[in-house]
Amino acid sequence: MRIKLTSIMVNDQEKALQFYTGVLGFRKKHEIPVGAYKWLTVTSPEGPDNIELSLEPNANPAGKTFQEAMFSQGLPLAAFEVDSIANEYARLKELGVTFTQQPTAMGPVTIAIFSDSCGNLIQMYQPNA
Amino acid sequence: MLLAHDAFGRLCRAREMLREIREQRLSIPDIAREAGMSPFHFIRRFEALFGLTPHQFRIQARLDDAKLLLARGQHNVTEVCLEVGFESLGTFSDLFARRVGMTPSAYQRSARVVVSMPAGFPPVMFPGCLSLMGQLPASAFRNFQEA
Repeated sequence: MRIKLTSIMVNDQEKALQFYTGVLGFRKKHEIPVGAYKWLTVTSPEGPDNIELSLEPNANPAGKTFQEAMFSQGLPLAAFEVDSIANEYARLKELGVTFTQQPTAMGPVTIAIFSDSCGNLIQMYQPNA
Repeated sequence: MLLAHDAFGRLCRAREMLREIREQRLSIPDIAREAGMSPFHFIRRFEALFGLTPHQFRIQARLDDAKLLLARGQHNVTEVCLEVGFESLGTFSDLFARRVGMTPSAYQRSARVVVSMPAGFPPVMFPGCLSLMGQLPASAFRNFQEA
């Protein structure tokens, strides 16, 4: 059994594609219409191209309730690893990203949290050397 | 931007108010005041955090409520229109059709085809994305390199 696919709900697939590729720097892998929605996945250019993140449409009311509750509690729904959190923080702020937590050392990692503008808080972390 | 913790809390609370159907009489400036911000700063910070303006969010929330009420099938389109806070049936129907891709009545008809559950949502109306996997072409799963 392999981990090849993971997913995050987004409240707008178009916006999510723009944010996850244009701002975060992921690459679109699949964009396939399925009924009213799209099968939309991205990969990281810094990793193998067959580990995909699916940007799921958040049409289910229960899903929206969950997503909004987690957001209001400041809880990120995904976390991405970076080599230099200071550089990424500066780069993303320059691109207009809204952070709820600036880079903060916590145990074995330094973490920061930002909004993906599609309903989620995202954590980025740099393991300490 | 880096948002301070208390501003974050006030913006989340404002989002709840915009989603709450019973608070629909509150204007955006009213909600900005509740959040302790000028309308200008409120709108800018709300959009920076949530990706859409308070007004856009409220419209979206009303359409979400409308979809739920239409799917439940206990109200007709005119009743749903008024219930979610639109005053004009024409405005509501046009907006709904543009955003959802079909008219409110067509949406309600498509929901009627499914057996509804007593306390839940018609399951087919809101498929989880992963359950749509079966409708994809084979190319979505062809991998040229093992992880």
